[in-house]
Amino acid sequence: MRSSHLAAGLVLCAGLAGAADLLPLGRIPPGKTVLVIQPHHDDHTTDYGMGGLIARFVDEGYDAYYVRASNDEKDGNHLPAENDIINLRESIAATRILGMKKVISLNWRNDYMNPIPLDELRAQLILLIRKYRPDVVLGHDPWEHYQKNPDHRNVSRALAEAYWLAGYANVNPEQLKLGLKPWAASYYFGKARLDWGLGHRSNIAMELNESQVRRKEQAYQTHRNVYAHPDSARAMKAALAREHLYIPAWEGLDDQQAAVEMEEWYMNWISRVRGREAGVKYAEDYYFMDEFDYLPGLKDYLKHNVEKQ
Amino acid sequence: MTAARRLLLCLMLLPAMGLPAEKPVVLVVTADASDYLLSAGGTIAGMIDQGAVVYLVRVTNDEKDSYDLSPEETARRTRAESEAAAHILGIKEVISLGYRAAELADVSFTDIRDRLIFYIRLYKPRVLFIPNPYTHYDRVLDRYYTGWAAEDAWRSAAFENFQPAFAEAGLKPHQTPELYYYAQPFDPARREAESTPTFVPELKIVDIAATLPRKTKALEALRTVNYSMARRLKDRLTSTGRRLPLLDTLDDRAVSALVEKNVEGLAAIAAQGTNYRAAEEFHYAGLHFRIPSKYLQ
Repeated sequence: MRSSHLAAGLVLCAGLAGAADLLPLGRIPPGKTVLVIQPHHDDHTTDYGMGGLIARFVDEGYDAYYVRASNDEKDGNHLPAENDIINLRESIAATRILGMKKVISLNWRNDYMNPIPLDELRAQLILLIRKYRPDVVLGHDPWEHYQKNPDHRNVSRALAEAYWLAGYANVNPEQLKLGLKPWAASYYFGKARLDWGLGHRSNIAMELNESQVRRKEQAYQTHRNVYAHPDSARAMKAALAREHLYIPAWEGLDDQQAAVEMEEWYMNWISRVRGREAGVKYAEDYYFMDEFDYLPGLKDYLKHNVEKQ
Repeated sequence: MTAARRLLLCLMLLPAMGLPAEKPVVLVVTADASDYLLSAGGTIAGMIDQGAVVYLVRVTNDEKDSYDLSPEETARRTRAESEAAAHILGIKEVISLGYRAAELADVSFTDIRDRLIFYIRLYKPRVLFIPNPYTHYDRVLDRYYTGWAAEDAWRSAAFENFQPAFAEAGLKPHQTPELYYYAQPFDPARREAESTPTFVPELKIVDIAATLPRKTKALEALRTVNYSMARRLKDRLTSTGRRLPLLDTLDDRAVSALVEKNVEGLAAIAAQGTNYRAAEEFHYAGLHFRIPSKYLQ
């Protein structure tokens, strides 16, 4: 082999190896309703997700609803009741930017969810699943390691059962008296902090476009009770000034505007990081459970034998 | 080495020391009627063929898993079917603890554990099978809760300070030498090496070609849960404009055929990377587990 061919071959091999490491791109599953179930007001859009994907679901015709399990009373610098009200108001505004239709608050006491009866929380989720009949649920990955927040642990664990047990008439049968029918969601997108241990390893990336990332940026910084506070920009400016540095992009911006710019950049940056892992510009990544993943022994058979009617 | 550790070591090595062996006892803990069969039925059948006496502890009552039956009727039928399935496999006795299915999250962990300690001390098994609580992405969390309680029962059944009242009734501490963690292959990382090899159960793949037909037949006896699976699968396909020709006529023959496909599929997944035609895979904590190599030599 001539050296130029060898070099080309090496480049090709390197490219193939790189491609093999990329996270596969997922598709929006067939359906029309997505239910996003998380413990807190802001979990729909943070560094680990999910605002971009929610915006994409809406763009592709889905109705999206947000379930906030806790009352968020601890999150913010106000007294608990005031935090609850402000955080809920901001959650409604932020999810509206993403195109979601409604925020449903279950009002479990924030950061007191460890000792709650899990079956009671699950029953509430089952009722909502039967009412809204989602094809897809988005939530935290209950198998994530090092999740220090019990609200996340318990809501995700309740969701992991609720989304399919809602399809069983013998589970919370009293709800059927309301005219609700058993209904199981078929697809699950699980999120976790990817830098927290090996419990959660994403298996797909969901590509986002500029507009979806832009809405994610805006939804995030809408939570002014906890993010984009002018103090954060002031502190950053002071720290940079001590090193005789400044941020040109912040010229002419007041502290509030600079704080917003910083938070929006953060959402844009993390979307680019996840995009790079999948070979696209912007993405979010997830552990995706497909409709028949619960039948591992039949998956291959179904793949080859299911037909269109 | 403390006296307690010496005792523990001796207990664990007894089977290897060639002491007079009665028929080895195997205790199987399962959360629900089907999980142990799907994950470990072939291996358990093989042990029975080798002379083992097997007891099954079924933790929940399976009352939720039917298509068109009440919880009470579901529980009644599944109990009978569970016993029929175990009988086909050759299991001597099924003990149903009767916890309500899909409601273990709020049941006392120690309550389940202590009842399992009771049966470990009563039957003194050589081998214990338990659901692997470390498995990810098995959405039936009863298996997770049962696995946690069973793993703790395995450990604590050996210590006299756990449930001392049992000793008054003649139930002595018992260390089970061999532990099989079982799970269906939901977890994509299940065969990856752990972060540290110290005290981590090893991957064990068992050839089940000889017992596969019996495993399948045992599973076919679980008519209520099988029909539930088939009916839900057909509903899902129909509601999305699809069909599985096998289920066009949903009768016993079709459901049995679906069960057979499921068992074959699971056996093929477990056999990946081996020369076996059909297998089951476990995480196994046997005689070498927890004993430093210098003492084994």
